Amino acid sequence: MTDVEERLRRIRGGGEGKRHNARTISALTSNPGCTRRAVADLAGVDKLALSRHVGFPGQFGQSPFAITRGQQFEAQVKADGCAELITLLREHLMLSLPEVSYEDLNDVGGNTDNRLRHLETRNKLGRRDEPGTLFDHPMLTLDVAGRQVFLEPDLIAFQVKGKFHIVEIKSFAVIDGQADGAKVAAAAIQSAVYVLALRDLVTAQGMSPDDVSHNVILVTPKDFSNRPMVTFVDVRKQLTVLRRQLSRLTRVEELLDLVPDGLSLSLDNDPHDVTFDLGSIEARYMPQCLNTCELARFCRHEAQGSTYAMGRTVTEELGGVQTVTDVLDLARGVLPPTPEQAEAAALLRLAWSIRRESLGNAA
Amino acid sequence: MRLSIEELERRMDDLRADMRRAAAAGHSDLVRDLRVELRGLEGEWDKALAGLARERPARTAGPSGPTPAASLLPLREQVHHALTLLTVPAAPRLIVAVHQAFFGASIPNARLTSLRRDEEKSFRSAPFARPYYLCPALTADRLAPSRGLLSVSTWPLVDRLVGPLSPRVHFLVSAIKIAEAIERAPEYVPEAVRLLARFAANIPGGGDGREPGTVASAARAELVIHEETDRIAREKAAKRTQRLTDVQRLFGVRLEAVSLVEDAG
Repeated sequence: MTDVEERLRRIRGGGEGKRHNARTISALTSNPGCTRRAVADLAGVDKLALSRHVGFPGQFGQSPFAITRGQQFEAQVKADGCAELITLLREHLMLSLPEVSYEDLNDVGGNTDNRLRHLETRNKLGRRDEPGTLFDHPMLTLDVAGRQVFLEPDLIAFQVKGKFHIVEIKSFAVIDGQADGAKVAAAAIQSAVYVLALRDLVTAQGMSPDDVSHNVILVTPKDFSNRPMVTFVDVRKQLTVLRRQLSRLTRVEELLDLVPDGLSLSLDNDPHDVTFDLGSIEARYMPQCLNTCELARFCRHEAQGSTYAMGRTVTEELGGVQTVTDVLDLARGVLPPTPEQAEAAALLRLAWSIRRESLGNAA
Repeated sequence: MRLSIEELERRMDDLRADMRRAAAAGHSDLVRDLRVELRGLEGEWDKALAGLARERPARTAGPSGPTPAASLLPLREQVHHALTLLTVPAAPRLIVAVHQAFFGASIPNARLTSLRRDEEKSFRSAPFARPYYLCPALTADRLAPSRGLLSVSTWPLVDRLVGPLSPRVHFLVSAIKIAEAIERAPEYVPEAVRLLARFAANIPGGGDGREPGTVASAARAELVIHEETDRIAREKAAKRTQRLTDVQRLFGVRLEAVSLVEDAG
């Protein structure tokens, strides 16, 4: 076992680590500056259990009802040899009638080993004599911070006229052509992770990365019904973001250099020690973290009184001012601003004077 | 359908054997379900016995046992009926829907999952003791049990294989068979028509499913495109099945505990 693996094991506190998936990767890219999350994810720490251990229990992730609903919708779209999906693809992508072949990559001869499934995926997708059409649950891999991560995508890769598409089946409704923006954005970045992984795979097979389309096919329920509909999502922007963030995700060794030696987030340790160790890894809390990170409540508590806990817009307006106390002092003119704070300070003093004029000393 | 007292006795024996096996394997849920079925049969048997004692021509006695909600027939026979109607391997969802539509009785979906395991166990303990077994369809590339598709052991092996085009072929054949069954049925079966409508919506030119003839001819038109290629692929795979053991031929080759395959990257 290498030193790096040994250290990651110590941080995790032994046992098997939790794996990355498309969700954690897209979350990672939404806050790439957060060392705490990067280290915890690399070590495969069970962040939900850790959060509970340090005194911040709470619900995280999709509700079981949402998950069941998602699975039901997926099963419906894929039932009877993907009958509904084929109808949609014929309608929107001019899929010709003979193109209906379906390969189930959920297991290889009843075996669900990741490596085996990945090999099978590579063989089936790379076949050129009889190119398939639909591939159910292919197993892809992606390099994240120097480690190979298996991605078990909840989707079908689909090939038409020599070009692969990612089909993402989501159970949130598109009502009158409108869907929840946050959900579409999350689906887009997740799909971008798959596009990237699929491009890696086809490149390794000697094909061009352009053989994987940047147009993702999003299948969602239409209006208030259970009928599926298709939307095309262009993920070129997400791909650029993702590629940049993944390259910025520093390599494991460099990340570990930022962490004190002997640090351990093991659940067997005393919660006080773990809290201290956790605090010694730099974090960058943002309100969005609440949606994407299990440790968010802990970080929010820690970040109380700092300006970045109030979100990106506030942080940008108050560039260079770290804490709420400083903000108030600058506004009142008690604290002399440093040159880089001058602009924000002028704005704050103006705001303070307007407030005093309108409210007097009432508040 | 009313069973003779001999048939009832044979069924009860079968059921008891199944119960013993299920209990040995620790499937307490299955044991409970089977017990309910057994009690039903025992009630039937009592009635049949009383009928025999009362008068010799007991055949005129009206139907007394089966309620429309749950069939008296063992689960495996119900599944067999549905599969015989479809003539192609089918997923449990479709089997349940077909049985409900044409035979009126509902199959508890949960029990279908244990069925496959029980059939295999039964075959292993006493090979070919039953006239047929319900077994998984086999994937054409690895001859492995396919996920979730059930078939009947008495079908020719080539019909139990699933190639890349087979899911679509199964879908179209199912549509044709369901349409034909509706046309044969003496009366209008609303559930079956609803089932067919689901198929019709996903077949080019299938209409809305109210015309079984239209659905069937649309399905046949598309079937012509895939049938040949699909059959060739399956026949090629069928040639490889000759070396399989009986158990493997029925229940598939499993790829277990693989020594890590060298990554050929």
